[in-house]
Amino acid sequence: MRSGGARSSTSDTAGAGAGAGAVGGVATAGAPPFRLPGIHFAAAVCFLVAGSVGLVLVSPALASGAFLTPRVVAVTHLFTLGWITTSIMGALYQFLPVALGVAVRSERVAYGTFAVYAPGVAVFVGAMGGAHVDAMLVGAVAVAAGLLLFVGNLTATLARAAHRDVTWWALTLADVFLFLTLLLGLLLAGNLRWGYIGAKRVIGVGTHLHIALVGWVLMVIVGVAHRLLPMFLLSHGADERAGRAAVALLGTGVTALAALHHTHLAARKWLPAALILAGLAAFLAQARSFYRHRRKPVLDAGLKLAAGGLTLLGLAALLSVPVLVRGIGSPHLAATYVLLLILAISLFVAAHYYKIVPFLVWYHRFSSLIGRAEMPQVADLYSGRWAAGAGVLLLAGTLGLTASVAGGWAAGARAAALVFAAGTAVEAVQMAGLARRRP
Amino acid sequence: MNGEATSSADGAGGARPTVDPDAVMEALGQVVDPEIGLDIVTLGMVYGVEVDDGVVTVTFTLTTPGCPMEGPITQGVVAVVSALPGVRDVVANRVWDPPWNPGMIRR
Repeated sequence: MRSGGARSSTSDTAGAGAGAGAVGGVATAGAPPFRLPGIHFAAAVCFLVAGSVGLVLVSPALASGAFLTPRVVAVTHLFTLGWITTSIMGALYQFLPVALGVAVRSERVAYGTFAVYAPGVAVFVGAMGGAHVDAMLVGAVAVAAGLLLFVGNLTATLARAAHRDVTWWALTLADVFLFLTLLLGLLLAGNLRWGYIGAKRVIGVGTHLHIALVGWVLMVIVGVAHRLLPMFLLSHGADERAGRAAVALLGTGVTALAALHHTHLAARKWLPAALILAGLAAFLAQARSFYRHRRKPVLDAGLKLAAGGLTLLGLAALLSVPVLVRGIGSPHLAATYVLLLILAISLFVAAHYYKIVPFLVWYHRFSSLIGRAEMPQVADLYSGRWAAGAGVLLLAGTLGLTASVAGGWAAGARAAALVFAAGTAVEAVQMAGLARRRP
Repeated sequence: MNGEATSSADGAGGARPTVDPDAVMEALGQVVDPEIGLDIVTLGMVYGVEVDDGVVTVTFTLTTPGCPMEGPITQGVVAVVSALPGVRDVVANRVWDPPWNPGMIRR
């Protein structure tokens, strides 16, 4: 029963947040339309599925320790540029208003970025896999244009944030390191055509990979997890000093890597490595603290998979020490380490799809009914059982694949890659189903 | 819950039920955080309800500043309280002080 004459108003005391919106509207100030993160997530999942199929194809090469072949490098970029970076772009457009209180500086630029970047990635990896150098350079230019637009838009957005906490610093450093990743990537792409780097190419590839995965991707993960894990786990109030230390150590370590990698100094390998490993340890300790202090007794499939991804990230960190000692003189070890590092991050990202996408669907399609009608919870929008199954397949595939590559077992690697691909297929089907959910 | 409201004369001369703050709290129990799966009263997010001549002021908070659920929860607060008899205005007063923490959850 409604009282016919009731009016309503909202007020915002203390003014710390984005401010109460007009009654009847469902959008938090600054939240982008569903379409913006949605197209990124749709493209990213396509790249993930393509990458997992590619992994099946290149798994025997990986098991033989050949991790710098064009096809392997192409599959690597399907994961790093296609799956991980496209996911981060979409997630940040949604996350920035929540974490920093500012909307992305220009939605138009964000759409333009996607229009250039996503096809650019497809051309780049397709041409790289087929060893078509000129076409690959065309793709590289498109990817570079997209990343430059993204970096510019993110920089302008971060500059407008009034509150500069650990998340802001992490995203700002990640923004800088993405730019550095791009510069090194372009140098390496050009080298394939004109060959000016010579014998230092392997050092360049390793530096590019680590600035990308640690400076860009891991730094974003640290910054985002600092806000999202307490929200998802209900672990507000946990000691957050380790998270701050992680940002400082990772930032210093990647800066040292970028500055020293081309020198002949004895410390050029170990100083950045020590700082990065300490930063990763601090981040994992922070994440563990959030999980331990949680008020949610039962973890959903997404949070379990995220914990699995973090555990594998710790294993990759341990594996990095013998890789540093032996270098590429032990190709199986190096291939195993890089594979585990990329797949651990991939699992952490895949886990967050089970948190972010259902929420977006609920928020944009169901939230107007809150308080007015019986409505589903966010977790009701997808099958938790299938999500758990996808998580098991992804984890089992990752472990099987890395173990097979380490042992040089080609058949085992292919079988495990198929298991991993099955996991990505289940997740892709679930995300497609979620995108169609309506009241 | 609507039955708990009593009637009184309003300023316009017609009979307007008096709004019971307990009934308001009970109505707010219908506003559920869809991510956590608990209502905002159980979560301890409702800091106070004041009723003054049919104007209901609900003072509440959210899990964190910038929470994306702000719009839907504010809308839910207004929707369920406006539906009570005797309510002629709803003020959704969202505050950040004291900040919410999981220790406020009522089990």
